[in-house]
Amino acid sequence: MKTMKELPEIFKDWEAVIGLEVHAELTTLNTKMFCGCAQSFGDEPNTHTCPVCLGMPGALPVPNKAAIESIILAGLATNCDIEKETMFYRKGYFYPDMSKNFQTTQGPKAFCMRGHLNLNIDKLGAKERTDIDLNEDGSYDTRIGIERIHMEEDAGKMIHVGGSEGRISGAKNSFVDYNRAGTPLIELVTLPELRTPAEARAFMQKLRQVYLTLGISDCSMEKGSLRCDGNVSLRRHGETKFGTKTELKNINSFKNLHDGLEYEIKRQCAVLEDGGTILQETRHWSPSDKKTIVMRVKETADDYRMFPDPDLAPFSLTDEFIDGVRAKLPELPDEKIERFVSDFELDSSDARALVADFEFSELFEKCASELDKSQLKKLSNLIVNNIAAHIKDKKCSIKDTKLEPQHLVEIVKLASDKTLNSNSTKKVLEAVLDKGVDVAEFVDNQNLAQSTDSSEIDAFCKQLLQYNPDKVAAYKNGKTGLIGFFMGQVMKHTQGSVDPESANELLTKLLNE
Amino acid sequence: MEFKNMCTRKIRQGLIDKDFSAKEIVDYSLERINNSEEKIHSFIELSPDLAYKKAAELDDFVAKGEKLPPLAGSIFAFKDNMNLIGTHTTCGSKMLENYDSTFTASCVKHSIEAGAIPIGKNNMDEFAFGSSCETSAFGPTYNPWDLERVPGGSSGGGAAAVASGQVTVALGSDTGGSIRQPGSFCGVVAMKPTYGIVSRYGVVAFGSSLDQVGPFTRNVYDCALTLNALSIQDPQDCTSHPLDVDYTANLDKDLKGKKIGVIPDFVETDGIAPDIKAAYKDAIAKLKDLGCEIIDVSLDHAKDAINAYYILGPCEAFSNLSRFDAVRYGFNLPNSNLDSQTSNSRGTGFGNEVKRRIILGAYLLSSGIYDKYYYRAQQVRSLITQDYTQAFEKVDALVMPTTPNTAFKLGEVSDPNTMYLSDIFTVSLNIAGNCGLHLPTQIGQNSNLPVGIQIVGPAFKDENILQIASNLEKEYKFYENYERITRNF
Repeated sequence: MKTMKELPEIFKDWEAVIGLEVHAELTTLNTKMFCGCAQSFGDEPNTHTCPVCLGMPGALPVPNKAAIESIILAGLATNCDIEKETMFYRKGYFYPDMSKNFQTTQGPKAFCMRGHLNLNIDKLGAKERTDIDLNEDGSYDTRIGIERIHMEEDAGKMIHVGGSEGRISGAKNSFVDYNRAGTPLIELVTLPELRTPAEARAFMQKLRQVYLTLGISDCSMEKGSLRCDGNVSLRRHGETKFGTKTELKNINSFKNLHDGLEYEIKRQCAVLEDGGTILQETRHWSPSDKKTIVMRVKETADDYRMFPDPDLAPFSLTDEFIDGVRAKLPELPDEKIERFVSDFELDSSDARALVADFEFSELFEKCASELDKSQLKKLSNLIVNNIAAHIKDKKCSIKDTKLEPQHLVEIVKLASDKTLNSNSTKKVLEAVLDKGVDVAEFVDNQNLAQSTDSSEIDAFCKQLLQYNPDKVAAYKNGKTGLIGFFMGQVMKHTQGSVDPESANELLTKLLNE
Repeated sequence: MEFKNMCTRKIRQGLIDKDFSAKEIVDYSLERINNSEEKIHSFIELSPDLAYKKAAELDDFVAKGEKLPPLAGSIFAFKDNMNLIGTHTTCGSKMLENYDSTFTASCVKHSIEAGAIPIGKNNMDEFAFGSSCETSAFGPTYNPWDLERVPGGSSGGGAAAVASGQVTVALGSDTGGSIRQPGSFCGVVAMKPTYGIVSRYGVVAFGSSLDQVGPFTRNVYDCALTLNALSIQDPQDCTSHPLDVDYTANLDKDLKGKKIGVIPDFVETDGIAPDIKAAYKDAIAKLKDLGCEIIDVSLDHAKDAINAYYILGPCEAFSNLSRFDAVRYGFNLPNSNLDSQTSNSRGTGFGNEVKRRIILGAYLLSSGIYDKYYYRAQQVRSLITQDYTQAFEKVDALVMPTTPNTAFKLGEVSDPNTMYLSDIFTVSLNIAGNCGLHLPTQIGQNSNLPVGIQIVGPAFKDENILQIASNLEKEYKFYENYERITRNF
């Protein structure tokens, strides 16, 4: 195969059609979907099972009401129509992890139908798309349709021993752990309206924010409580028919979703431009090899023999029930962004960055109440830049650090009144994140406070201008870039202990006198 | 003490009066079963330990002067598709030959809690697929009235056990007639309650939307009493909707002014045995004498019920029986290849009738076929239900034959389609979800076998058909005939 083209070049001729199927385990519920067994993660195998989730003869399912509430919440939060008259179906296939050899899922009508999510694709992601108007900040907004969200149960877990890479082929023994069997799952299916890998990633990120805000799942892609399959095909611009799609299965991170789709688009383009045809197949993205590998070729559609589950009476949801769920809807990410912009006077990109992570916005709000409005920009910067970088580096979350909101409030106050310059601020913040040090004590001990006595700096600056009359004249003649020279001298003289912002302010004032 | 032919009410009274102990009843029953099983073979397994345990509990109650529950001392047998801890639940299949119940079915639990003594598990057609008890992997049951004949099925073991006096009450399950048809062949009161009255939890499913548990008894009062005990809300079955009704309350009320519907088409067709026709006509005449108004009604779509049933039933059965895959339990022929292990185990563990229905169901649900059959059958189901609803706007109950024929001989019916036709009068009730009861009335003049009628009521009006049955029972006194066969065993 010849070298593959990059996305912007491909998108000149081709349009990518991407659809996602996103599974979320309702990890925050106490019990399984159709029985009273506790939901457990990582416990001794087969310790949370009963006749129902083991598929013993004679056992019957009873739907978990809290799970139905959760999916209705998800539907309302993603602008879906709630179907009042719906039912469960049985999807038949034989595999030992499915104790009844059918999965209880939903048929043509799911609890939630016809929704959408609004996405903002940032500047970087926007580079993948050429046919759309950008916002001032280089990002663009788009809306992605949701076909449905349906309720189903998870299968058990199989462990194969003795084969290569834990696969069933060649394995000596296979074991099944049914602790996960019957875990409530909601599956969201998008319309094929995503056009770039960046959009697909943004959709997943947004959906995760929504689910986390709703509190219906811990949404861990690593642990598999949030999983995603991506379908992708290419077609020429203007073409209305879909091309043959390939499916990427079990993607376990945002990055892998993006990179896997990007690779598939490049690969499909190369195949098509070479006169080849795309086979409808399931592929697996291997991040280490940086390519997708065929898992299986789908020659015919699987026949799951779906039919309405006669053990589960059809649902007829009342308005009362749905309104009751609606009343439990928390503030959703889009609403929160709007509020952050209006109440805290943040610009929308800062607000989006904060809301992107529930912990960020939570920390921000806790601190904001004790700070002035003028200090909030600094607070937001510290969270989305410094703290975000720290937890990314440590692969942890804010709650795993030693940081308390009160620490951050103190730091922001000291940074705002110029006691701490940007370098010192970083130092204190790192010390707090790692060790939870007392802010005032740390600043004292490390001698980080910069002189608030401006007279010394003032005298130095005046002297500096006196010794460089030609540069002052050039500045006044329009070479304003020379401010950098003066700043450099000031910083050198003070060994960086002066606040650059105020030094800059002072120099500008003196130069313009 | 002579326990033979004793009803539940008399047993309970006998315990209260200390005429005998519960232990003595168990001794007697086990002896009686042991003496007759070789001829009848109505049991797959006996549970003497459980029986003596319950008897001891009841005797303790008596000793302490505590109030006895309504079914106290009544000897119960359960169809072997009902889970009961301490017994196997085989479903009459090699597939589950060694399967230990891991929990107890709600209907069994409710019976025992109401005082019933669990004596054992009855023979049945494999997985309830059959109308003769001949498909049991453990050999057929024989009709106590004529040992060359079948007891009917699929709950044939229970019907035979009650008819022969081995037990007081047996519970069966009825998907298309599996209680009423053997009730008719064995001459016992046999009821399929309204779908939802009795919990299905723990009863191994055949057709989940059709299955319903009900009793075999020798008299209508025992039937009503048993239904009282079974009709309990079960949080483990979300299709259970019992009513707070005393099913014995109306039994002594007369039938004056009751409107009874008859469907002339049903009995005017060929293929109805003369004895069946005669019993039916006689019952109609009796009902008139009792003050009922007889009204002709039509059930236009009932003729399609058998077709709809043999689509819906196998579809649900295919899915329900998928769990028997030799992985967690059941018959297993280990193989290094998973697919081979599954298909070999199922191929050997299941009998032919089971495989026939699984294959049929798998075909009927496959894509492209589904709409033509399953979907249409559901439409027919709606039409049949509608027919019944309209009929019950005019009448309180319907009377019709239960089966076209009296009990046939073992091996006499080998063509599945002919066998399926023995359900022709029973399946439409399962399709519509309403209630029906077989009442034995006479011994047929030609056949010398028991005959009777089927009384059909609207959903959740089970007390109505019990009332009609009770009034007719007083006229016919069929229970007097039991002495004729019980003395043989």
